[in-house]
Amino acid sequence: MSKENNNLCEESYFSEFYIKNVQSATNFAYYKSGDSDAALDLVQDAFAKIWENCSQIDFTKVKTYLFTTVNNLFLNTIKHQKVVMDFAKETPYLDRTNQSPEYLLEEEEFKHALQKAIASLSEAQREVFLMNRIDGKKYREIADLLGISQKAVEKRMSGALKILKEQIENI
Amino acid sequence: MKKEKEILKWLNGELSSKEIEDLKQSEDFETLEKIAHYSAHLATPKVDAQQALAALKNRKLTKKESKVRTLHFRTIFRVAAVITVLLTSAYFLFYNTNQSFQTGIAQTESFQLPDNSEVLLNASSKITFNEKNWDKKRDLTLEGEAYFQVQKGKTFSVKTADGVVKVLGTHFDVKQRNNYYEVSCYEGLVSVTYNANTVKLPPGKTFRVINKQIEKTDDFDAETPSWLQKESSFTRIPLNQVIAELERQYDIKIEAQDVDTSKLFTGSFTHTNQKIALEAITIPLQLSYKIKGKTVIFYKYEGQ
Repeated sequence: MSKENNNLCEESYFSEFYIKNVQSATNFAYYKSGDSDAALDLVQDAFAKIWENCSQIDFTKVKTYLFTTVNNLFLNTIKHQKVVMDFAKETPYLDRTNQSPEYLLEEEEFKHALQKAIASLSEAQREVFLMNRIDGKKYREIADLLGISQKAVEKRMSGALKILKEQIENI
Repeated sequence: MKKEKEILKWLNGELSSKEIEDLKQSEDFETLEKIAHYSAHLATPKVDAQQALAALKNRKLTKKESKVRTLHFRTIFRVAAVITVLLTSAYFLFYNTNQSFQTGIAQTESFQLPDNSEVLLNASSKITFNEKNWDKKRDLTLEGEAYFQVQKGKTFSVKTADGVVKVLGTHFDVKQRNNYYEVSCYEGLVSVTYNANTVKLPPGKTFRVINKQIEKTDDFDAETPSWLQKESSFTRIPLNQVIAELERQYDIKIEAQDVDTSKLFTGSFTHTNQKIALEAITIPLQLSYKIKGKTVIFYKYEGQ
């Protein structure tokens, strides 16, 4: 293990780790803050900490360390605010073959409702839900990154789904 | 939510396509499918990883050294140990130059201190002082008896187990023995501190403590202590102190069990002739003595 620890202090190894994880870490910070600039700043600070403490971090837990640090920095620096996220411009519709104006309008309305519903989720629910949906992470991985049990992740996940469904159906 | 377990499994990619088909038959699956689909297309800030990494490296971060560096520390400790030993020995060799002079039974010694003050050391006595610091602090420690002829200058102090004598420049004698402390001033002014009390002694005065009792003393008019002329003088001193002095001046052991040694003695004995000295003490006190090798037994004259 000590050999691997040393690896983290090696610039090439650290760079590899950085490139692999910077996007998902930034996404994570973004789910929390809703501010893309602040999100990257947080992540940079977190990586800086890892580099500075490279010799003391257990290699097998460095990912968890990264996400925990992002979370802590977020709690320390950024005021909680409503997180309203936008859709990517080229979002494909669920039924790509259906191009009828009614369908398209219906889908746009749905997207709008979903956007609002996601903003209404609790921070814990939102981050878990979006890490699964956007980053395609499995529950197990999310649990490891957040330092919680898989059961807790599933609970947050189904809680998020329940709220989203209710809010959308209410419209 | 119905089929919650299946839905969670589905979102986690754990369902087979057949199971998904089954799930699709449930009533509200359409909404869930839309939620799952569209939420995956929410935009996140796109990070240019290479550029961000370059920006991070520009921060000029420094790695903190690991706390666990056993091997490295060991060498440091080794070096530290060597340096400590060197410094300590150097200190004792070059700086802590404690000089000491010592005399045995029947010996006297005279020597000069760095400021040319003169010290005469009586028998069985010891003086210690710091040669290096002498210019700053004229301090010395005395066990026994010594006569000082101090050059004028800064405070000169003589520390003994019983008290401290401080002078500026005088001639004086300090005698510190078992249960006996005596300071006599021959010239100038001497200040004696005993048990937090300070007494000033002009020439011809003596300060004497026997068995922790401050004694009244007579004035004297000698210019130097009698022991400089190879004679010990006593004025109303208990016999045991006289015997102790006798044992220091002659290499003998005195036994005086049958004699009242608290009796006071006034007189003197010479350091040059043992027979005369013994007679000088025993005759006035109406005692007699027997010599057995190096032991001298005192006994009552009348008792024989």
